Amino acid sequence: MNPANYLYLAALLFTVGAAGVLLRRNAIVVFMCVELMLNATNLAFVTFARMHGNYDGQVIAFFTMVVAAAEVVVGLSIIIAIFRSRRTASVDDANLMKW
Amino acid sequence: MTAGLAAATVAAADLSGRGGPGFLSPTGAEVAFVLIGLVVLGSALLVVTTSQIVHAALWLVVTLGGLAAEYLLLTAEFIAWVQVLIYIGAVVVLLLFGLMLTRAPIGRSTELDSLKRWPAVLVAVGATATLLTVVVDAFHSAYLDLGKTDDGSARVTGESLFRVWVLPFEVLSVLLLAALIGAIVLSRGRADADGKGR
Amino acid sequence: MSSGLQLAADAADKVPAPSIEYGKLSPMLIVFGIAVAGVLVEAFVPRKARYVTHLVVALGGMAAAFGAVLALIPGVKDSGGEIAAVGAVAVDGPTLFLQGTLLLLGIVSVLLMAERKLEPGGDAFAPQAAAAPGSAQEKEAAAAGLRQTEVYPLAMFALGGMLLFPAANDLLTLFVALEVMSLPLYLLCGLARRRRLLSQEAALKYFLLGAFSSAFFLFGVALLYGYSGSVRLDRIAVATGGAMDNDALLLIGLAMVAVGLLFKVGAVPFHSWTPDVYQGAPTPITGFMASATKVAAFGALLRFFYVALPGMKWDWRPMMTGVAIVTMVVGAVIAITQTDVKRMLAYSSIAHAGFILTGMIAANEAGASSTLFYLVAYGFVTLGAFAVVTLVRDAGGEATHLSRWAGLGRRSPLVAGVFAVFLLAFAGIPLTSGFSGKFAVFQAAADGGAGSLVIVGVLCSAIAAFFYVRVIVLMFFSEPRADGPTVVVPSVMTTAAIALGVTVTVVLGIVPQPVLDLADKAALFVH
Repeated sequence: MNPANYLYLAALLFTVGAAGVLLRRNAIVVFMCVELMLNATNLAFVTFARMHGNYDGQVIAFFTMVVAAAEVVVGLSIIIAIFRSRRTASVDDANLMKW
Repeated sequence: MTAGLAAATVAAADLSGRGGPGFLSPTGAEVAFVLIGLVVLGSALLVVTTSQIVHAALWLVVTLGGLAAEYLLLTAEFIAWVQVLIYIGAVVVLLLFGLMLTRAPIGRSTELDSLKRWPAVLVAVGATATLLTVVVDAFHSAYLDLGKTDDGSARVTGESLFRVWVLPFEVLSVLLLAALIGAIVLSRGRADADGKGR
Repeated sequence: MSSGLQLAADAADKVPAPSIEYGKLSPMLIVFGIAVAGVLVEAFVPRKARYVTHLVVALGGMAAAFGAVLALIPGVKDSGGEIAAVGAVAVDGPTLFLQGTLLLLGIVSVLLMAERKLEPGGDAFAPQAAAAPGSAQEKEAAAAGLRQTEVYPLAMFALGGMLLFPAANDLLTLFVALEVMSLPLYLLCGLARRRRLLSQEAALKYFLLGAFSSAFFLFGVALLYGYSGSVRLDRIAVATGGAMDNDALLLIGLAMVAVGLLFKVGAVPFHSWTPDVYQGAPTPITGFMASATKVAAFGALLRFFYVALPGMKWDWRPMMTGVAIVTMVVGAVIAITQTDVKRMLAYSSIAHAGFILTGMIAANEAGASSTLFYLVAYGFVTLGAFAVVTLVRDAGGEATHLSRWAGLGRRSPLVAGVFAVFLLAFAGIPLTSGFSGKFAVFQAAADGGAGSLVIVGVLCSAIAAFFYVRVIVLMFFSEPRADGPTVVVPSVMTTAAIALGVTVTVVLGIVPQPVLDLADKAALFVH
């Protein structure tokens, strides 16, 4: 089948995630949207790997997943630390600062 | 509703726009791709639009699981299982823990969407258009035969990992250690806060 | 018999071990090694001895890594640079130059982080990061004299990532290095002792935007991989040199990778995190981020554009020219309106990112060498300036509001004088390193055919000079306020850091030639 179909899916997923990051206010949901974007990237990598017939793309997808796991750990610890200080996880309430 | 409609339109475009072999009689893999793709896209839209935070996490599981199935269709077997293990097994569980620890409301909450809705939609539409154009431009005549080979097995991936990508792999382990230490720093209250030392 | 066969089969199945040039990688390996050692120190050394042990390990390790960089120079001089670690890392002139710079900046930053005489009862970091700000638990921790000594291994992890960042020869290594550099920094941003809430929000903002931008980076990598079938920079260069089809894929991929890198650099329009994060983070960490991250990220940008996309020069140059112009203008203009010293320095760092981009856009060897030189000059000035910010304090911690700095020159001429030197260097006044750097990049850009950029650059320098000089006037020619901040006398560590900053600034301003020559020799990328 035409690999472009997979790439359409990846592109749509990526933009859905990007829109979510801009749209949502809860830090954890924003983070989920970033995960959607990373997953879209992985799909693109795996598709390209299949097209080019080398494994680099699959290996990169694997790397992305591990990095995402590390990012989740760091991100959640920051979010929880801030929640303990402030009792909310809304991004927009982070308004001690000027945007 | 509109989300579902949009997804359906895309799928229709997929079906009709597919040239080359397999146009007349879609194979099982192609049918599976379209169906799973619809599920993935629909649940992704729900992650982004639902007004219940916990539901967002659960729809994320559906998206991630669907993607694992797509990887299987692409014969990337190892990646598919890693996807299940790391994303569904670890990342989503961590996210759910995060939701619990920040006492996210269970049920509808109206404060989830930011006020910057229209700019966000605009950016998304623009980005989609660009990316789709790029893909159409680049791959309108490519063809992928999905029916053969086992080149996504753990063995092949592992060999590539340890022969070509050793250094990044080792650095990745350093990254995990750093994340671990950092998370401990931010979240562990010391039992021995009276300064007796350990 | 059968077991023998089994063994033979196993041997045949084994993956042949790749060859790793440990010697060539030694600077990074040493830094990662001391980071891991720092974790062990945290686990096994008694609390009282940890601080000293950490300092010895970190400073000694960075000095050893610097020695390793020096030891690698003759080999690179002979061979012109080599690709190491199965193609993942390029050890060449720019790599060694930037790694040396980063290690020196790292040493200075650790000296600033280790300063314990300024803050009553501790250092710049929260006594216990897990305790909510203002809670009883935190007061208890502060009273017990707890210190968060984990900052040293975290800083070393970040530094290790920075050393790898400009050396990465493929986009995957680049991505991993990006994350190794960023994740510890996200955490370190949230650890300020004073104004913890601001600090934690800075960490959250930096983290979310950083994750967002690295997703863009990664999708860009995917598109470039789709275009060329490889993530090696040299193979991308080969692929882009050939056919002209699929150009959209290539251009969008290039742009998205650039977004990720420009975010780290703090270029407009990807700068919105910079002022908040610089303001919220503990000041020693701000100095570390502002100097070392920028050095590493510009190194990576240089390598990406010069090695992977030399054939695409006419496509990426207009885009980057636009970014550079907007960056310079926005940085310089918004800096004027700032009333907080740290925010002002943040916008000034944005403007400087624009100046450095100007050198990069020259896209010739002079462009690379002038950028390298500018990075050295800028790194030390920035660290020095933030070090001075840590000294001016009142009851609430650092007095960062500009109005509080009024008349500082009368109260403590030395500190104000030193800060004035740094500001003059930022402004690019002759006889400071800032002038030599700006002259070098503008000259390279003019030679490289980016004359319009030079004109904008000079205009922005003039605007920037206005607000730097305004601060100097404020410090020296206005009456000190009765309740004004005091200048705390630091320990030998901060003093050494500031002294080094001043020395580098003045020496590079008066006799820049040796370092310019060094940068010239180091400016050749290996392909």
